[in-house]
Amino acid sequence: MAQKIILNNREDFVRKLKDLINGGVPADKIDAQYPYPVHEVEKILGRRPGPVRYFTLIGAVTGFAAGFGLTIYTVLSWPMITGGKPLISIPPFLLIAYILTILFGSVAAFAGFLFVSILPKIGRLFAPLPEAGNRFIITIREGNQ
Amino acid sequence: MQRNERIEREILSAMKRPGALYWIALFFCGSVFIVGMLFWGHQLKTGLGVAGISHPVAWGVYITNFVFWVGIAHSGTLISAVLFLFRAKFRTSFNRAAEAMTVFALMVAGLFPLIHLGRTWVFYYLLPYPSQRMIWPNFRSPLVWDVFAISTYLTVSLIFFYVGMIPDLAIMRRRFTGIRSRIYQVLSLGWEGRLGEWRNYEQLYLFLAAFATPLVASVHSIVSWDFAMSILPGWHTTIFAPYFVAGAIFSGTAMVITLVVPMRKVLSLEKYITVDHIESIAKILLFTSLIVTYAYIVEPALAVYGKNPFEIEAFRYRAFGDYSPLFWTMILCNSILPLTLFIKRLRRNIIFLFILSLLVNVGMWLERFVIIVSSLARDYTPYAWGTYHPSLVEVGITLGGFGLFFSAYLIFLKTLPVLSITEIKERSDGTKNHSE
Repeated sequence: MAQKIILNNREDFVRKLKDLINGGVPADKIDAQYPYPVHEVEKILGRRPGPVRYFTLIGAVTGFAAGFGLTIYTVLSWPMITGGKPLISIPPFLLIAYILTILFGSVAAFAGFLFVSILPKIGRLFAPLPEAGNRFIITIREGNQ
Repeated sequence: MQRNERIEREILSAMKRPGALYWIALFFCGSVFIVGMLFWGHQLKTGLGVAGISHPVAWGVYITNFVFWVGIAHSGTLISAVLFLFRAKFRTSFNRAAEAMTVFALMVAGLFPLIHLGRTWVFYYLLPYPSQRMIWPNFRSPLVWDVFAISTYLTVSLIFFYVGMIPDLAIMRRRFTGIRSRIYQVLSLGWEGRLGEWRNYEQLYLFLAAFATPLVASVHSIVSWDFAMSILPGWHTTIFAPYFVAGAIFSGTAMVITLVVPMRKVLSLEKYITVDHIESIAKILLFTSLIVTYAYIVEPALAVYGKNPFEIEAFRYRAFGDYSPLFWTMILCNSILPLTLFIKRLRRNIIFLFILSLLVNVGMWLERFVIIVSSLARDYTPYAWGTYHPSLVEVGITLGGFGLFFSAYLIFLKTLPVLSITEIKERSDGTKNHSE
C-alpha cells in the first residue's frame, strides 16, 4: 500500500520531502504531484537531469547534418554555377544548416519530452481525473511496487 | 492554497462570457479581414496588375507588410525566451500575450509573400522536394533562406507557446465544465503535474528557450539580407542585420504595449500586470529606439564617408525626395518621440505609453516602406526610375492583414489563459510569505 501525504503549501512540501529523505526513505520510492515547478525537489532527491537532453542533442546534430546534406546533395545533382560562386558555397549552406539545427533540435526536444513523460496518456485524455488542484501530494511506494 | 485558488479564479474570470464591446470589436476586425480576403480574391482572379507594384518598384506594401509583421513577432520571443534565460521576473506578466502575438504575427507575415507572388498556387517552387522538374531551390538565394527561417520560426514559436500552456490547460479542464473541459483535457495531454513530468518539462522549456533565443537574432537578420544581399544603393550595407533586429524588437515591443494596455484594462488584470511591469517594457522600447536611431545616423554617414555617389544620392532622395514626408514622420515616431521615455513620469503613464506605442507602430511600418520603396524607385540608371503608390487592392489587403491579426488575438483572449497561471503562482510564492 502506498502512503499519501497531502500538504497545502510549498514550504511544508519541501520540508516534508527533506524529512523523508533524512528519515531514510529511498528517493526512488517517492513520487510527488505539485501545481508548479519547485526547484528544490531535484536537489533533495539527488536526481540527475533526465534524458530529454539526449533527444535534443541528437535532433540538433541531425538537423545540422541534414542542412549540409540537403544543400550539398542538391547542388551536386544539378551542378550549375550561379553568381560566380563555388558549387559548394559554405557560408550560405551554413545558414540552412543552422536553421535546421534549431528546427530539428526543438522538434526532437518536444518529441523526446512526450516520449519520456509518456504523454499524451490516452487513458487520462477522456476519463474524469482525480484532481490534485493546488495541493502538494507526496506518495511513498512501499515494497517492490 | 487560497491564494492560488484566487489567482486561478481571477485570471480565468477574464474568459467569462464576453460583453457587447468584445463582439463589436471582433465583428469589426473580422469584417476588415474578410474584405481584405475579397481584395485578394480579386487579385488572384485578375492578376497582379491590380496591385501598384511594377517596374521599377516591384516590391511594395506586400513586402513592407511581410517585414513589418515578422518584426512584430520578434519581441514575443524576446520576452518569452530571452527574458526567461535572464530570469527577468516581470516577463510572467506578458509572456503568454507576447507568445500569442508572435504566432499570430507570423501567420499574417507568412501570408504576404504568398500574396506578393501573384500566382500563389505555385508557392511550392520554393520548397526543396524531389520534383519532376529535376531542379532544386538555389540555396544561395536569400529568398530560400527566408522560407526556411520563417517556417522554422513559426514551428518553434508554436511549440514554445503550446508547451508553456500545458500546465495551464490542465488547470482549465478542472475549472470549466462540459465540452470546454473536454477540449482542454485533450489539449492538456493528460498532464498531472507529477515529479517526472515536471522534471522533463523544465528541461524541455529551457531547451526551447535556448533554441528560440538565437532565432530572435537570426530570423530578422535573414529577412534583412533579402535586401542587403542585393547591390541596390540604400540596401547594400552590412549594418542591415543588426539594424533590422533592433527595429524588429522595437516595433514588437510597441505592439505588446498596444495589445496589453487595453487587455489589462478590459479584463481587469491590473493586479497582475502592474505599472512597474509596463515600465520595464517601456525601458526596452526606449533602449531599442536608441539603437534604431543610431542605425539611422550610421547609414547616411557610411554613404557620405564611402564617397559612393549612388549611395549618397539614395540617402538624399530618401530624406528629400518623393517619399520625404514618410521619412520624416518615421524619424519623428521612431527616434524623437520615444526620447520622452527618459522621463520616469511619462514611462509610468499608461495612456501616454499606449498612444506612443501606436505612433511607433506607424513609424516602424513607414520605416520598412521607406527602405524598400525609396531604394527601388531610384537605382543606378535615371532611365529606369519611377515612383510607386499603393493601389486600392494593396491597401485593402494590408488592412485585411491587421484585421486577421486582431481577430485572432481577440479569439485568443476568450479561449486560452491570457496570463501564465502556473508561473504567476510560482512568482507569488517566491515573493510573499504565506499568511494562509
